[in-house]
Amino acid sequence: MNMLAQLPASLWNDETAAHLLNRARFGATPAEIESARKKGLVPMVRELVDVRADAGNVPPPAWAKPRNIRAARMALKAAKERGENFRETARQFRMMEGDEILDLRRWWLERMMNSPAPLLEKMTLFWHGHFATSVQKVKDGYWMWLQNDTLRRNALGNFATLVKAISRDPAMMIYLDLQQNREARPNENWARELMELFTVGIGNYTEDDIRAAARAFTGYRIDMTTQQFRFARMEQDLGTKKFMGHTGPLNGDNVIDILVRQPACSRFIGRKLWRFFVEDEPSQEIVDAIASRIRAHNFEMRPVLREIFSSAEFYSDRAMGTQIKSPVQYIVQTSKLLETQLASPIVVQNAMRQMGQILFAPPNVKGWDGGKAWITTSTLLFRYNFANYLISGDAMLPAGQAARAKPQDAGFRRSVQRRQLAAQIKRDPIDVSKFVPDQLRDKPRQLVDLLSGRFFRTRLAEKETNTFVQFLESRKPDTSDATMRELVHLMMSTPQFQLA
Amino acid sequence: MLGVAATWTLAVFLEKTFFALDAMAVNAVTQTATGKDGTILVVLQLAGGNDGLNTVVPYADDAYHRARPRLALPDEQILTIDHHVGLNPKLAGLKSLYEEGHLAIVQGVGYPNPNRSHFRSTEIWQTASDADRNETHGWLGRYFDNCCSGTDPTIGVAIGEEMPQAFAAKNPTGITFSRPEQFRWRASASNTGHMSTEEIFFRQLNGFDEENTPAATDGASIGTLPGTSKSDLSTLDFLQRTALDAQLSSDKILAIARKYKSTVPYPQGRLAASLNIIARMIAGGLTTRVYYASHGGFDTHAGQFNTHGRLMTELNDTIAAFVADLKQQGNFERVLLITFSEFGRRVAENANGGTDHGTAASMFVLGGRVKPGLFGEHPSLTDLDHGDLKFNTDFRSVYGTVLDSWLNTPSQIVLGRKFPSLAIL
Repeated sequence: MNMLAQLPASLWNDETAAHLLNRARFGATPAEIESARKKGLVPMVRELVDVRADAGNVPPPAWAKPRNIRAARMALKAAKERGENFRETARQFRMMEGDEILDLRRWWLERMMNSPAPLLEKMTLFWHGHFATSVQKVKDGYWMWLQNDTLRRNALGNFATLVKAISRDPAMMIYLDLQQNREARPNENWARELMELFTVGIGNYTEDDIRAAARAFTGYRIDMTTQQFRFARMEQDLGTKKFMGHTGPLNGDNVIDILVRQPACSRFIGRKLWRFFVEDEPSQEIVDAIASRIRAHNFEMRPVLREIFSSAEFYSDRAMGTQIKSPVQYIVQTSKLLETQLASPIVVQNAMRQMGQILFAPPNVKGWDGGKAWITTSTLLFRYNFANYLISGDAMLPAGQAARAKPQDAGFRRSVQRRQLAAQIKRDPIDVSKFVPDQLRDKPRQLVDLLSGRFFRTRLAEKETNTFVQFLESRKPDTSDATMRELVHLMMSTPQFQLA
Repeated sequence: MLGVAATWTLAVFLEKTFFALDAMAVNAVTQTATGKDGTILVVLQLAGGNDGLNTVVPYADDAYHRARPRLALPDEQILTIDHHVGLNPKLAGLKSLYEEGHLAIVQGVGYPNPNRSHFRSTEIWQTASDADRNETHGWLGRYFDNCCSGTDPTIGVAIGEEMPQAFAAKNPTGITFSRPEQFRWRASASNTGHMSTEEIFFRQLNGFDEENTPAATDGASIGTLPGTSKSDLSTLDFLQRTALDAQLSSDKILAIARKYKSTVPYPQGRLAASLNIIARMIAGGLTTRVYYASHGGFDTHAGQFNTHGRLMTELNDTIAAFVADLKQQGNFERVLLITFSEFGRRVAENANGGTDHGTAASMFVLGGRVKPGLFGEHPSLTDLDHGDLKFNTDFRSVYGTVLDSWLNTPSQIVLGRKFPSLAIL
């Protein structure tokens, strides 16, 4: 069978168009789906993949500027040694970092919502999970932004180039201790994960390869006065190394080039791409097929993605409507479908935590498991309740939760924080008239059919459809906004809504 | 399809719900592995790096007093355990437990090549990995995966907002909530006391219907379907099962939370609130084998003396209340509580009356069936590694012993290899 053949034009319809926009972007409204269908498969894929060359050139958040960390640390150390109370300074520093990362999460989610090049953001998210790095260890908002920027600039480009850029990325260097790696005192953390998690996968290298690679990646340092990568030539181990059958005075870039040429690398990346965009458990045949395309395109991501999104396999029954939305996808897509804004940064951050995917804080260097691991009884109930909050606003919270700030029972700072929090939690109910036509409000079945097209990518069983209709029947003659919101909340409080 | 009125009357709904709870209760008795009488593990994390040396104090060692001119606890206040070590003066309740024979103190617990980053060292303790390896899943998650797949959906309960990495699993089953009242689906309209129509329809959409009532599938929780583990299901089936499990678990937990209140007084604070919830869940017979709670604030880089004293008081009073509660319930024999922290602290105090990140420290293991005593040697305060204690007991020996002897699970399956066991159980 001819793998990765193009989807026949006859199968390009609202459902396949919606599927493409779910996976290659963060979902779409019915109007956007219709527009994509009218464009046709090939032009739509081209529009997604062939973004302008400067699309990755995105203005940073205002605070994202390098600092002289060395000077700040020395000042703190001096204060410490003089026995001065440095706690207030340290606390302010931590708060500033906390504010920055909170804002960085908001900034990225807004890009996912509104960017003219949404696939670029989706691929940046893919690489963030692949080159997983956590602010919990890096502890610096600027470095986390810088890595995000590096990922975005290379997201649709060449894989080997991206790996080389990541090997010089300060956040990654801190996360995997690369800047501590010395000829005399090797730290193999980066070398090991480069092979195990970033390029070829476990079983495709030896412990000797790790030791040799650690020697090749010497001299990688960070300039703490500018927060930039610095290559310390004097610290480089120029000796002969034996690595995967190659012998010579190999450096870090040589090691990456050798790794990317391994057949295991194209399979490893191909499998991961396919899992992210298409299905949880790809067959060996499809992994081999995508790997051979990756090699044919010399690890350029743009043509590979073009082939994936055009292929019949991408639109197969195994793929359509079978993917559990990641928490990030859930947050962005739900806001889109409700034709509303993202919740406030503090609420979204908390929601990401409770759903198990906090941007810039993956659980470990392996990134997020994804798939079924997104869902537990707790995260599922949370998704249902978070949908309620997005729809109904803070009115759904237990009475008095938002107004619980009692200045007398806490210090002044606490009460200010609580009032700020209350303001951040405040949210109005959505305007259902944006997608519920007045003339259908008293026609339950037609209304349910219309809204099912918006909210579900799997065909609903008759049972669910009937339950929604019965709900509206039970409310007759009430067709108020509140009832419409309850209907939408019921639709989102289903297993089916978790799928994309 | 029945008419609207017949499917959603309150009476029908209530009947179903209570039937579901009955079915689960009956089922629980027959499940020996997770049943009402099974053993229970409570894991208590002291987050931030608890100062082990001011918790289990080597008071007789001059080096302790030399290293800590401001922070050393006065000899005469120490609650002596033996001629060398004693407990922090605030830990009177733990001292009593020790004397009653319910407390084991494992000294010098750590791991090779210690990492002094909170994040990384916590990860090592949570995943039970070697320091130079990265492991995705938690040690308790691997226990759930290997030993309890297809059992009760309430097998693991963590009190908090975020699932601890220790629970991360191939097929995650752990339940996480701060308060039981949160672990429920919330209708749009704020309705107190009685069921909204929206909720009745919600239940139909999430498994409580004619074809799929708990009665019809004999309990309906995944555990009762022989040979089915969640990993074999299609994604939609998996989601539907989880949705039903969520309903069943939520109903059960809320029912217990409403019914069981402790008569033993607990101190104020989040730690006490967490252990109080756990005690009530145990009292209500929730078929949970592992509870998890976390308490922060132990990262005492400056002004440690008062802060740490307060933390010790809170820990002591909370554990004392928890134990008294369990004893009153008659459940103390079934429960084992272990404490851990990602690292101890530097031997020498710093210039700010605090201590910096260190390595090995003691662990408390307590319960009605614990073998009491002091285990392992206290690490030397003069033979140091970069100013830090050298561990002598791998923390995975404690985990392994708990798995083998308390949870009755071969520890090497969970930990990847066999660690020397300790005589604490």
